[in-house]
Amino acid sequence: MRRLLEIKGVFVHSIRGNRLNDINLSISSGERVALVGSNGSGKSSLLAVANGTLLPDLGKVIWKDYSTSNLGQRQRKEIGTLWQDLRLVEELNVAQNINCGALANRNLLWSLANLLKPIELNACSECLQKVGLSTSILSAMVSELSGGQRQRVAIARLLRQKPELILADEPLFSLDPILAEEILHLFLDNTMTSDMGEERTLLMSLHQPSFFRHFDRVIALKSGRVVFDQPSECLDDEALALIYGSA
Amino acid sequence: MSRLSPTPPILSLLPALALLPVLISILISFHNGGATLLWEFICAAVHPSIQAEVVQSAFRGIQITFSTALLSWSLSSIFGICLGIASARVVWETFLGKSWPATVIRRLLAIPRSIHELLWGLLLLQMVGLSPWVAIVAIVIPYTSLVARVVSDQLDTKDRRALKGLKQAGAGSSSALITALGPAMGPVLLSYVGYRLECALRGATVLGVFGLGGIGTDLQLALQSLQFHDVWTALWLLAAVMFSLEQILSLIRGYFKLSKNGIWQITTILIVLLILCALSIPWLNAVDIDLGEPLHWSPLPLPTFYELIDAIHTLPWIQLISSTMLLTVLAAGIAIGTPPLAMMLWPSQLGIAIQRIIWGLLRLMPTPLTALFLMLFSKPSLAVAALALGAHNIGVMGRLLKEGLDQQSDNHLKALSAAGAGTRSAWLYGCFSGQSRSYLAYAAYRTDVILRETVVVGMVGGTGLGWQLIESLGSFNWAQVIVLIAVFTALTLIGEAITDRLRYHWTGSTKKLPMVVDLQS
Repeated sequence: MRRLLEIKGVFVHSIRGNRLNDINLSISSGERVALVGSNGSGKSSLLAVANGTLLPDLGKVIWKDYSTSNLGQRQRKEIGTLWQDLRLVEELNVAQNINCGALANRNLLWSLANLLKPIELNACSECLQKVGLSTSILSAMVSELSGGQRQRVAIARLLRQKPELILADEPLFSLDPILAEEILHLFLDNTMTSDMGEERTLLMSLHQPSFFRHFDRVIALKSGRVVFDQPSECLDDEALALIYGSA
Repeated sequence: MSRLSPTPPILSLLPALALLPVLISILISFHNGGATLLWEFICAAVHPSIQAEVVQSAFRGIQITFSTALLSWSLSSIFGICLGIASARVVWETFLGKSWPATVIRRLLAIPRSIHELLWGLLLLQMVGLSPWVAIVAIVIPYTSLVARVVSDQLDTKDRRALKGLKQAGAGSSSALITALGPAMGPVLLSYVGYRLECALRGATVLGVFGLGGIGTDLQLALQSLQFHDVWTALWLLAAVMFSLEQILSLIRGYFKLSKNGIWQITTILIVLLILCALSIPWLNAVDIDLGEPLHWSPLPLPTFYELIDAIHTLPWIQLISSTMLLTVLAAGIAIGTPPLAMMLWPSQLGIAIQRIIWGLLRLMPTPLTALFLMLFSKPSLAVAALALGAHNIGVMGRLLKEGLDQQSDNHLKALSAAGAGTRSAWLYGCFSGQSRSYLAYAAYRTDVILRETVVVGMVGGTGLGWQLIESLGSFNWAQVIVLIAVFTALTLIGEAITDRLRYHWTGSTKKLPMVVDLQS
C-alpha cells in the first residue's frame, strides 16, 4: 500500500503545554484508521495538522511528497475534512452548500453563479442520495435542518469534493447511539469508494469503543503523544485503560 | 429550483453593477485637461502646502469645525436622549398605561429627521443671516431626532419581564424603569452617541463647504481655485483629527466595556456631554467665533394657498423625483456593491490594507467636494453626483464590512481553503457569506441616509430635488421651497418605511439598527 500521509516528529505548542508531542506516524492508501483519546488529548490538533490548517512548531507533515505547509490547490482538494462543527454556510441552501465541495475545481464565475442559482443539481442530488437524504431538501436552507440532516449534508459536501483522504473530527459526537451507528455505517459503506472504484482513506476521531472494530487500525493519543498504534483487533480492555485511564 | 434565488452574498455584490453606467457616462464626458488636473491633484497629496498662512488657516478652520461639531453633538445627544425617553412606548405604558403620546411624539420627530442638516442650514441662513448658530442648530435639529429614534427603539425592544416583575413587587414607575431598562441602555448609548460625534464632524465640514465656515470653507475655496496643495493640507489635517477621534472613541468604548454598570455608564455619558458642551463655547470664542452676536431674525414669508398651488403646477415633478430616485439607486448601488467586490477581487492582506486606506480617504472627503473634484474633468451630471455620493458611502460601508469580518471567526474560511477552494471563492463563501445578512441590513439603513444626502450632491451635480431646491432658494421662491421640502420629506419617510421593512427581512427586527449592534460588538 502506498503511503499517503506521513507525520514526522511533529510538535505543536500551546500556552498550557504541548498539544502534540513528537508525533510520528504514517497512513497508507485505503486504510481506515480510528483516532481515539480522551478530551484534550490532541485528536483535533492532529487532524488540523494533517489537513494543513495548523502548522506544526517542529516537524514535518508530508502529503504525497508535498509538505502540508505548502500545499497547492490541487493537493488540498485531495484531503477532505468533516469538521466537528460541520462548518456549513448558514446563509446558503443545501445544494449550494454541497457545491462548496466543488469550489476547488471551479473558477470564480462558477462560484458567483452558484450563489445566484444553485447549479449542477444532478451532482448534488447524487451526493445527497448517497447520504440517505431526499433530493426534495436541495432548496432548503441548512439553518432549517435537524442535527442529523446537517451532519449528512456535510458528508454530502465531502463526497462532492471527491477527496482521497477523509479526515473526520468526531462526526458521531452529540448524536444518540442509534443515529451515531447509522451515520458511521453510512460513512463506511457509502463514502469510502470513489467513482473510479478506488478505496478512500479514512482517519476518524471518535470515542465509542464499540465502533473500533469497523476500522483497520486504531491510533490512540494521550497528552499529545501516541500511546497506541495497532490493528483494531489488538485493542483490549488493558489498552483502553491505558488510553482513557488517569495514570 | 429553476428560478433565480439570489443569496445574501450575491445580493450584496450585484449593486456594484451601478458602477458600469456611471463610469461609462463620466468617461464619455471626460474633457481634455482633466487628466492633467487629476494627476496634479494626486501628486499634491504627497506635497501638501506648508506655507504658514495656509497651515494657520487650516488649523483655525479645523478648530471651528471641530468645536461646532462638539457643541452640536453634545446638545443633540442630550436633547435626543430626553426626547427618546419621551417617545418610548414602554415609558408611557408604565406611567399612564397607554402609548399614544409616544406615537404622536415619534411622528412629529420624523419630520426634522427627514430633512438633511444642509437644508436646515440653508433655511436658517435665510432666517437669521450668517451666524455661528446656523451650523450648530442645523446639526442639532436632525441629530436630536435621530438619537431620539434610536433611544426609543432600543427602550421598546428590551425585554419587559423584569419591568413587570418590579411593578408587581410594588416599585414606583420611575424606579422600575431605571432598574429594569437602564443598565442595558448604557452600552447602546455609548456606541451610538460616540458614532454620532463622527457624523457631526462630517456634517460640520459639509456645512462649511456651503459657506458656513470652518475647514469645509477652506477646502472649497482651495479646490475651486485649483490650489491642490492647499486642499491636501486641509485634508490631511482633517484626516488626522478624524483618525484621532476614531482612536479616542475606540479607547473610550474599550474602557467602558470593562464596566458592567449601565447606569454608571449613562451617568458618565451625560456628565461628559455637559462638560464638552460647556467647553466648546469658550473654544469657539477663542477662534473668534462670537456666539453672543445678536441674530438678525427675518421670518420666511409664508406663501399664499394660490402660490403653493402654482408651485405644484410649475415644477417638473416626474423629472425631479425620478432623477432623485435614480441618483439614490445608483449611489446606493456603488456604495453597497463596491466594498465586497473589491475585497473579493483582492482578498490578500496587502489588498485589504490598500482598500482600507482608500476607504479612509473617501470617507474623509466631503461629498460636495468629491463632486466638485469630479467636475474638474467631467461635466455636471447625474452620474457625477451619483459617483460622488457613492464614493463617500463606499468609505462608510467598507469600514463597517471590514470591522464585521474582523469580528467573525475564520473557521469557514480555513475549512474551504483546506478543501482547495481558490482564495476568492473561499473569501466569498467562507468569509463574506457569514456577514452578508447583517451587511444587507446595514445597506438598507445606508440607502435611507443616501436618499437624504441626495440634497447635498443634487445641488452640486445639477440634478434632482436638491438642485431644484437651491434654485428656488436662490430666487426666494418660498412657495416652491415649501412644496419641495414637503415632497422631499414625504420621499424620505417613504424610503425609511421601505428600508425598515428590508431591515426586518434581513435581521428579523426593524428596531434593531445594525450600526448600533455592530458598534457595540
